[in-house]
Formats: sequence, structure tokens, C-alpha cells
Amino acid sequence: MAYYLMLFAAGFAGSFHCVGMCGGFACALGHDPHGHGATVLRHLLYNAGRLTTYCFLGGLAGTLGQVICTPQGMTVSLVGGSLDSAQRILAIVAGLLMIGMALQFFGLLQGFHRLASGFGSSTLAISLRSLLTARGRAAPLAFGVFNGFLPCPLVYAFVAQAASAAGALPGFLTMASFGLGTFPAMLMMGGVGQVLAPAWRQRGVWLAGSCILLLGLITLGRGILPIAAHIAHG
Amino acid sequence: MTDDRLCRHCLLTIGPRAMRRTVNGENCAFCCYGCCIAFQVRSGKSEEWEAAWLLIRLGVGGFLSMNIMLFSLLLYAGAFTGVDARLLPWVHLLLWIFATPALVILGGPFLRETWLDGVQGRLRSSALIVVGVGAAYIYSAFAVIERGTHVYFDTATMVLMLFTVGRYLEAAGRARAARDLEPLLAAESECATVVNGGAETRRPVREVDARMLVRVRPGERIPVDGVVTEGESHTDEAVITGESRQVAKSVGSPVIAGSINLDGPLLIQSSGAGTATRWAQICRSVRDALVRRSPTQRIADRVVGASVPVVLALGGLTMLYWAQWLPLERALLFGLAVLVVACPCAVGLAAPLATSLGIGRLARCGCLVRDPGVLEALARTRLLAFDKTGTLTSGRAHVVGIESDGAGTDEVLARAAGLERYSEHGFGHAITTAAAVRGLDLVVTGDVRILPGRGIRGNADGKAVVAGNGALMSELGWSVAPALSEHGRSLEADGYSVIYIGWGEQVRAALALDDSVLPEARSTVEALRSRGLHVLLLSGDLAHATQRVAVAAGIQDAQSGLSPEAKRAALRQLRQRYNVVAMVGDGLNDGPVLADADIGIAVGSATDLARETAALVLPRDGLWMLPWVVDVARAVRMTILTNLMWAFGYNCIAVTLAMLGWLQPVLAAAVMAGSSIIVVLNSLRLERLPDPIPSAAPDQSAAFESAPAMHTSSLPIIAG
Repeated sequence: MAYYLMLFAAGFAGSFHCVGMCGGFACALGHDPHGHGATVLRHLLYNAGRLTTYCFLGGLAGTLGQVICTPQGMTVSLVGGSLDSAQRILAIVAGLLMIGMALQFFGLLQGFHRLASGFGSSTLAISLRSLLTARGRAAPLAFGVFNGFLPCPLVYAFVAQAASAAGALPGFLTMASFGLGTFPAMLMMGGVGQVLAPAWRQRGVWLAGSCILLLGLITLGRGILPIAAHIAHG
Repeated sequence: MTDDRLCRHCLLTIGPRAMRRTVNGENCAFCCYGCCIAFQVRSGKSEEWEAAWLLIRLGVGGFLSMNIMLFSLLLYAGAFTGVDARLLPWVHLLLWIFATPALVILGGPFLRETWLDGVQGRLRSSALIVVGVGAAYIYSAFAVIERGTHVYFDTATMVLMLFTVGRYLEAAGRARAARDLEPLLAAESECATVVNGGAETRRPVREVDARMLVRVRPGERIPVDGVVTEGESHTDEAVITGESRQVAKSVGSPVIAGSINLDGPLLIQSSGAGTATRWAQICRSVRDALVRRSPTQRIADRVVGASVPVVLALGGLTMLYWAQWLPLERALLFGLAVLVVACPCAVGLAAPLATSLGIGRLARCGCLVRDPGVLEALARTRLLAFDKTGTLTSGRAHVVGIESDGAGTDEVLARAAGLERYSEHGFGHAITTAAAVRGLDLVVTGDVRILPGRGIRGNADGKAVVAGNGALMSELGWSVAPALSEHGRSLEADGYSVIYIGWGEQVRAALALDDSVLPEARSTVEALRSRGLHVLLLSGDLAHATQRVAVAAGIQDAQSGLSPEAKRAALRQLRQRYNVVAMVGDGLNDGPVLADADIGIAVGSATDLARETAALVLPRDGLWMLPWVVDVARAVRMTILTNLMWAFGYNCIAVTLAMLGWLQPVLAAAVMAGSSIIVVLNSLRLERLPDPIPSAAPDQSAAFESAPAMHTSSLPIIAG
């Protein structure tokens, strides 16, 4: 549980990064002429769509991790416990990916960034444009679903984390915690608009980077430490 | 102007499963559901409700199916076992509630297609999806009611989702293919900025008439033929002439519709109706070619049509077979996998996409394909027969030799040219140019009279001067030196055109004229031979003349003295040996022969495309492009073959795997969608074909154009 709380916190910190891109979308969704209740519903639908995509990606990544690691399909506790070598390798790969993603939050590894955000973004962005202003209750939901697929290093980092969880349920929970963590900031963006000064946003991005870096190091540690311990004992 | 025969998005032919939508206030027809989505996503304005509605449906469908998939993943992972087992029926019910709207939203277009086909008594690939998904859904619904252990809502919705996304991606790829063709189909829908006394109005090209003033900004395509009346610029005329180079234009220069104005604004006075330009003819011709189906395509369509019932039967048999050993639900799943994986979309796409890419690639360089089948035929042919005059030669005479009985060459030419400059005949032009090249002062000649069919006569220095054929000289009764007369006869026997010049009641000289071989003929023939083609010359001319051209062009095999009927007979005979024969001609004199060959290729004339009989038309002076055209045709055929091999091979293997029960339906749908995308990507490789490289430099041929007599000075002048 503590682990998921930590992910929630990381998502919350990371959402200051979201404010930069997805926050703009949330602002554009704007106010509903039918009153405050309708506006809240609009933003809840949008965020529900986003969360669904995240959870789906998390579940899928978790299942993939499970297929790679444990053919028997058993789920393992995440911190400590006995890990087989495949899962350790997965943890190392996921940890490295997360560290890589974190570094670009600090302005490093720009090539990596282009690789991460270049793929397929143009098509998606074009399709999103017409949804923002569309009438209809379902439009924000659909918009949220597509928004979830927009290339974002933050999401990639957590999907990598979900994959290393090696199970559909923990993967789903990982992404759900992260997604819920981004809720407050995104809902706030919808309500209050561009309230954060750029300097604060920059600090938020560094905070997000630090969180992911920390998570990445922990994940990497989960992969490496047992090997190191094994070697030390051997 | 929209054409209902071509898909608005990918410009492929619309089959019977057309979809019609109103986008941005226009009626659009699409060949498939994927194109319909992709076009609206790309060009639908945000205020257009329908484009947004489509995306909303996709988004909501995605939302529902992702939720279903998520819960199903958790089910498979065993999250609801043990204590939570009593939750299971409720989870199933939840899945059902999610799946029903998802099925309606995502499956609607497929169901509609199947229904429309069914009304017309046809079965198409969408029927496979509808049957398979419908069966999975109905079975699962019963399982929920009867509290069964397994439901397959996830399979049903994911199959639909994957097919929808797959079709979208495929259509997005096809749009890239259409990008090449779009400017070629734009001539009729293009607008021109008409200037009328200071006011500028945008009008469709078809409303532009002769003598109207049209303004063309830099970067725009020139919409009409005409003459520049204001401004200076460069234009690129590649679409018409085949050569991509900048041509300088200033006041008074003629411009061609379809060329691109590169750097300066131009004001153009139209010289004819906007729809009568060669550019408009090209567009109509390309459109017609795209609508027609090649033989390979007809075969593929027939296979696709026949395969759907077969696949349905196979799916049913698979299910029945496995139901004997396994629970019904597993057997049903195997049957569903067969239906999904055997969807023959890729087979139907294999030929038309590659062909239309090839047609577009050629048309951008000015080569027109009038029948899509010709590309495949040209790729298979081993024999190219050439006509001589106007094809391998320029079709314009020039002086190659002068025989005289004592008079100086310069004097003969000066007198002849002084007379012939009043003549409109091609020979007259050849003689004056020969004199001009030698820098001669022409003898002033007056009282000139043209004697039709025989020659020309006049007076110089008080003496009669005559130029004409032998018949004219004997008619006049002027004396001819026996040696000169003998030389003249032997030149005529060798296939030269001979003109006698005389003054003072005596024939003084004989001029030999010949058609000149195009400078690029030899390199073109060599390039064709290096591609494994047998090159042959079929000429109606005399043996000697034919042989001279054959030698100059490097052709070993030449037949001369053939009437048009004899040429056709020769082609028929060659067809027995080479199977497919191609004939290259100028399209004017040999129209029937070109029409009779398997592949008729016209070079050089083609003033009126509507009357053209050849299936492939190269631009004027486009002989040098022929090897490149053969390359493109071969690349197109290769692409079609690899596409078909991939599509058929894939289907056979995948169906076998599915029948053995080794393929999950969701995986099958993913791989199926991938197979169409691979066909699209493979075809798009045609875009990367290199541009034609002139084997003889185009500048050389241009210089030859302006001064054909340059070549005469390099030829030996036989002075008596």
C-alpha cells in the first residue's frame, strides 16, 4: 500500500510536468455554458478517459512483464521477496528507462526525448484538435482516451514501472495510482486555468524528474541488489 | 469538382462498398471505412460535427473496450479467484454492459457494409468480422445469463477495435500514395485568379476563356496556356515535358498550363479555353487510367470474392471439428480466429495501390499511362520494336551532301537558299539552315513561284533559278551532266531525298537530304539492351535509309520497306516468339500499329491525347525516358507480386494455424491488420524510385532543337 501511495505522490509531483502540455488541453476544454456542475462533469469525464488509457496500458504492460517473467502467472511482492533472474533483468531495464526519462526532465538526453515524443504524435494531435471544441457529452471522454496515448516521457516511465511489476493487477494498480496522482493538478488546471507562474512550473518539472529518478533508482536497485548480495555471499 | 469513381482520400477506385459522407459541405465518396475516418481526421474542420462525431465514437469505443480488456486481463491473471469468486458473475455482467454499446459503436460500420452487400447478394470481408464477432458476443451473453465460467466480450471488442485502428492506419498510408496523384487530378478543380479591369476574382479553370488575363503568384501552378504579359519568373514544366529544370519566362514568353511558377508573379493572357489545355487532357487521362482495372486486379478481386464463402465454411468446419473434443466455447474461439485471420483485405489492396503509385510517379515526369495493365505488360515484355521516322529520328530533314558538276558548294547553297527561303516546305528550311550555318550571303532572288509537288523557281541576276525534283528538271528540259544524273540516281536509291538545283538552263548540283538520328537514340537503345530487352527497328522506309538509322542507333535487327499492314503482321509473328511485344512510335503515322501491339508507346507527338491510340505516352522528346519507364514498370510489377505473395502466403499460413487452434483471435486480428499495413508500406517504397536521368544530356537535345543544321557541318559534304 505504501508503495502505491508513493506512486500516487510521484504522479502528483509529475503532474506539474503535465500542466505544461496536457494542462493546456484541460484549459481548452474550459467551462461548460450549462453551469458549474456541467463543467466539473466535463473535466471528470476527460480525466476518466485519460485514467482508463493509463490503466489499460498499465494492465497490458504488467501482463507483458508477467509473461516474460513467470510462466506460472504468480504475482510477487514488489519490495523484497524472492525474485527470479528474469524479473531482475526486467527491473534493471525498467529502472534504466526511468532514469533515462528522469534525466531529460533536467534537460539531459535530448535525443532520447525526440525519440520518445516524435512517434505518432502528429497524427494524434491533429485528431485531438477537432474534439476539443466538439459539442456533446462524450467528447471530453473521447478526448481523454486519445490524450492518454499522447507520447509523454512521464507515462512511459510509469509504464516501464508497471511492466517491472510483472502482473496484470499490480501493473494496473501502478498506473491507476499514478493516474489518480495527476488528477488534482489537472482538475485544478481545468478550474483555475494558467495560475502557476512559469518559474513554479519549472520547479514542478524538476520535482517530477527527481521523483522518477528516485523511483528508477529503487527499481534498478531491486534488480541489481540481489545479484550484488548474491555475489557478496558467494 | 468531385469524381464519384475515385476515393476522396486515397484516390483508389471505389468498389461497390462505397461510403458517402458530407465533409466540409461537400459530398465525398470513400472506398472504405478507414479512408472515411482518415479523411475526416485530416481535413474535417473542427466545427464539422460529423468528423468530431466519428472521433468521439472511436474514443468512447476505445474507452469501453479498454475497460473490458482491463477487467478481462485481471480475470485471466486470476484476480477474482478464491474469496472474490462470488464477484465473478457481477464482473461478467459489468463486461456485458460495457460490451453492448462498444459493439454497437465499433461494429456499426462493419454491420452496415455487410447489410448493404447482403442486399446486393454479395459476401465480403466485413461479413467475416460480423459473423465472428457476433457469435462471440451472443455466446458470451448466454454465458452471463447462465452464469457460465467464461465470457469473450474482450475478444469481440478487441477484434473490432484492432480492425478499426488497422483500417485507419492503412488509409493514412494510402493518403501518402495519393499525395503524388492529387496535383495531377486537380486541373479541372483548380481555380484561376482572373484579372478584369483592376478587379481580381477566383474562378474555376473551366470558366476561363481565350484572351482573359490570369495572375499567377510564385509557387502556384499555372492554370492555363498563354503568353506572359507582365512580370518575370522561372517555371518548372516537368509535368508536361518530363524534364525538371527551370525555364526563364519574361514578357512575351509562352507558358504551359500545369507548369509551376517558381519565383515571380506573372500576368498571363490565356490563349485558349481552360479545359482544352494539354494539362487538362493529362488529368482526364490519369483519372481514366486510375478507374480502370488491370488484369491482375481483376483476378485478385475474383479471388477475394470467392474466398469469403470458403473462409466462412472453413470457420464453421473448424468449430464443428474442435467441438467434438473441446468445450463449445473453445471451439467457437478457434472458429472465430479462422474468420478473423482470413480476411482478404490485403489481397484486394495489393495491385491497385502499387499501380496507382506507378501511374502517379510516371505522370509527374510527363509520362502518361492510359491503361493500368500496360505497366505489368511492359515489365514482362522482352521485345521493343521501334518505328524509325519521328521516333528514333527527329523527323526533320537536313542537308547531308552536295553533288555538283563544277559549281562551288558555297555558290550552290547560296543560290538554293536564296530561292528556298520563300518555301514553307521542310526541305526548304533544311537548305536555308545549311546556308546559314556556313555563314553565306544569299543570292537575292525575285519573281519566286512555288510549283506544288515539284519544286520552286525564281529569277536571280536576270537568270532563271530552279530547285526541285528530277521530274521538274526533265519537264523543263534542262541539260544534266551524265555524272551528276548518275550520282543523283544512286543517292535516291540509297534512300536520300534529292533536290536538283539549276540556273542558266542547266542543272548544276544535287543536294542530298536525310532525316537526322536523335542524339539520345544510341544511349537509349544501349540502356534498353542492358535491361535484357531485344530491340528491333521496323520501318516503312527504304532498306539503305533504315540501315543507316539502325547503325547510328546501334540496333542490329532492322526490317525495312514495311507497310503498316506488314508491320502489324511482323508484330503478330514476333508475338509468337516473345509473347508480349511493345511497339514504340511517334503516334501520328503508326497509330494502328501502336494500337495493335500489346503495349503501344508513343513518343514525341501526342498533340491531341484524346486521339492517341497508344497505351503509354511519353512527352515530346522523351525517348531518353524509356529505360526509366521500363524500370518503373518493373518495380511496379515486382511490388504487386511481392504484395500478392505476402497477402496470399500470409493468409494460407495464418488460416492453417488458426484451424489448428494455435492462434488467439485477438492476436489474429492484430496480425491481420498488420498484414494490410505491410502491403501499404511495401507499395510506398515505389515513392522512393529515382527520377529519370537523361542518358543524353537534355541540353544537348535542346541545342539540337534550335539549330538542327549544326549536325550537317559535322557530316562529310560530298563536293563534286
